Amino acid sequence: MENTSPAAAAPTRSLAMPLRATPKDDAEPVPTLIDVRNLDFYYGAKQALFDINIEIPDRRVTAFIGPSGCGKSTLLRCLNRMNDLIDGTAVKRGAIKIRDIDIYGPSVDPIELRKRVGMVFQKSNPFPKSIYENIIYGLRIQGVKSKTKLDEVVEKSLRGAALWDEVKDRLHESGLGLSGGQQQRLCIARTIAVEPEVILMDEPCSALDPIATAKVEELIHELKKQFTIIIVTHSMQQAARCSDRTAFFYMGKLIEFDATHNIFMNPKNPQTEAYVSGRFG
Amino acid sequence: MPPESTETSVVDSTATSFRIQKERTQFLGLTWDECIQWFFGGNALVAVIILGLITFFLFREGSSFFGQNRDNITIYRLAGLEYVDLGRQQEKDHAALSRYLADVRLRTHQYYTVQVGLPAKEASARLKEFDLYAERFARASASIREQLSELSELATDIKARHLENQNLAEKRRQLLAAGKKDEAAAVEILPIDFPVEVAVITSTLPAYAEASASFSKSLEELVAAPPALPDPELSARLGRFQELTRAFIASFPETLASMQSWDATVPVPLSQSFSAFIFGRQWLTASFWQDWYGAMPLIAGSMLVSLIALVLAVPLGVGAAIYVNQLASPVEQRVIKPAIEFISAIPSVVLGFFGIAVLGEFLRIASGWSFLSWVPGFPFAERLNALTAGCLLGLIAVPTIFTLAEDAINNVPRAFKEASYALGASRLQTIIRIIVPASLSGIVSAILLGLGRVIGETMVVLLCAGNRIAIPDFTAGLGVVTQPVHTMTGIIAQEMGEVEPGGIHYRALFVVGLLLFFIALILNYFAQKIVRKYKVSIG
Ligand SMILES: Nc1ncnc2c1ncn2[C@@H]1O[C@H](COP(=O)(O)OP(=O)(O)OP(=O)(O)O)[C@@H](O)[C@H]1O
Ligand SMILES: [Mg+2]
Repeated sequence: MENTSPAAAAPTRSLAMPLRATPKDDAEPVPTLIDVRNLDFYYGAKQALFDINIEIPDRRVTAFIGPSGCGKSTLLRCLNRMNDLIDGTAVKRGAIKIRDIDIYGPSVDPIELRKRVGMVFQKSNPFPKSIYENIIYGLRIQGVKSKTKLDEVVEKSLRGAALWDEVKDRLHESGLGLSGGQQQRLCIARTIAVEPEVILMDEPCSALDPIATAKVEELIHELKKQFTIIIVTHSMQQAARCSDRTAFFYMGKLIEFDATHNIFMNPKNPQTEAYVSGRFG
Repeated sequence: MPPESTETSVVDSTATSFRIQKERTQFLGLTWDECIQWFFGGNALVAVIILGLITFFLFREGSSFFGQNRDNITIYRLAGLEYVDLGRQQEKDHAALSRYLADVRLRTHQYYTVQVGLPAKEASARLKEFDLYAERFARASASIREQLSELSELATDIKARHLENQNLAEKRRQLLAAGKKDEAAAVEILPIDFPVEVAVITSTLPAYAEASASFSKSLEELVAAPPALPDPELSARLGRFQELTRAFIASFPETLASMQSWDATVPVPLSQSFSAFIFGRQWLTASFWQDWYGAMPLIAGSMLVSLIALVLAVPLGVGAAIYVNQLASPVEQRVIKPAIEFISAIPSVVLGFFGIAVLGEFLRIASGWSFLSWVPGFPFAERLNALTAGCLLGLIAVPTIFTLAEDAINNVPRAFKEASYALGASRLQTIIRIIVPASLSGIVSAILLGLGRVIGETMVVLLCAGNRIAIPDFTAGLGVVTQPVHTMTGIIAQEMGEVEPGGIHYRALFVVGLLLFFIALILNYFAQKIVRKYKVSIG
């Protein structure tokens, strides 16, 4: 595969780099972008998150790991208030601050919030529209009309998502005609087209084959230069490969949060140790 | 234990515990599974066979209509009725012009009494000159009218004798069939020599031409000297009248030419029987002159009523579907859905009754309110019209459209919606840009099926549409909706009970039924096709 996209420029980096890169990251202090304090979250009467405290660093990749049902997706969806769409959900205690603004504050418009905090879903979900229309959806709803601007954004976003060379000749064909991996990158391109600060990814590779997964992981490496990324994953390798920090959740509680190599090499909590070594989960 | 013995004991225990054969209960040599399969398969087969029988029956009953209608038109020609109608058309056109004059007179009278403020008597006095003029105009056609009425008598006489002969022939056939040969021979049929008889009618053409010439001359004189009117608007109307009359006079030579070239012996092609049905503008039965079976007024009536119904039902049904599926709280959902679906449980005769007693009356009264006078067609006098029927039909279509559209919207994957929200779209933007387009084919097919429901509905239109068999006057613009109409379903329900089985009228009603059947078939076909396409693209 020969192309000039940024992700493909360093194709060999994907598997080996992260573990090497992480200690360097730790050397310098990183500013916090998202600050979650004492968060209690409920689905109706059922409490799903218990007293979560976590500081997500700016322009780094943070991985959320933990057994199924431990609340990873729930916390992720709290960060862009997607949980608002579910009836009966409530943040009963605590606060989430992004750049020191409480996103559950009364003056915050969730729609504006979601433009700043984008999301990529587990199952790729391009709209039943053309590739082009998929990318510019976020801009269209913001009322952008200029064709040159839209064209520009489409190319930039697709290049950013390492998809440009594969689809540049079929921009006006349906997004549903792409392969699963391409669809997922299309969804990422669609998300970065609105230029958010944070990209939330909920198991973005769980439906992809290893090659497509590797491509998305390469992409995450590129994207973290510009975006703060939080990725939920069930794959220890993936967390180890592409994240700088890792948070381990269990039964709705944050058990341990540290630099990724610490979580995997010498976890402080025995539960974390048991989980990352595959002894339970 | 030695290994071999372990081996055998394992095999043995498997042989005893792994029993998969079982004695099955049998019924008439079939297992229960097969019985059930046969039962459901049989039911499905019965449904298909019944559909086939219905189609076959409709075709059998309807198909001979076209032959009969051709005979019907043939005798119209043979007996000279067609020839006389050429002249009668002139008479009718002239009568229409007279009505136009009468309308101008009424307006002038109103002008005098309302605008000028004269008492009614004085106004009538001032119209004396106009009245004289109108009378002279009306009298101008006296001589052709006289001739035509004589010709009409001749022609109807020929036709009556022909029909009588047909009856006698039928009687003879029946007697022969019953084996009564002598009695059959005693039935006397006087054959009609059509060319000779019709020649009596056509031989009057020179006299008719003369009368028509003097008619045209007197009209020309009248047109040249119209009475003076007090108002420019009224004068303009009179100007229009002059224009129309001149056009009428100009058509005289053409009429004479077509009378001249008319030939009773030209055979009527079968295609004319078809086109006279599909495009015929008159549905006229049991007439002393000539019966016409033109479905156009019925088709137009059905279309008009259905269109009104859809204009009301589509926004209501689709809007409610979007609301219930996307915006309503669970409590609202629990109330609205059954409420709308309940509408379809109301018997349509009850709705029709409601339409006559409440809705029709209310619309008529409302049309008289002065602040609504800008609405085209308002005010109107008929309580029963296309609008009343259309409103009720719309109500009937709402549950169909609502239920199917809600289904389609519900089938839009949740993931699309979430993706849209995650990109910063509002609820409205998500609905308009994602949900509706993604479910559009489902919504369209819901609308098609709603239309099918509306076109096939009978009771409401029979009770509320006004049942006037005429093509609604579409020149009235939107006001056309306030005119009474008749529909394809309504005419069948109304007339089927009174017609003689096997007669042409009976067959004509069957062909209307066939037409309805095909419309429903086509609508359903497209609805299903669209739905299938939609399933492929989304699922
Ligand atoms: N819509 C909902 N309504 C009620 N409870 C929910 C809802 N969604 C999730 N939960 C509950 O909240 C808890 C956390 O769920 P969450 O989806 O966050 O887990 P997760 O860590 O993402 O799991 P997985 O790895 O399987 O995706 C679970 O116990 C789950 O049953
Ligand atoms: Mg999850």
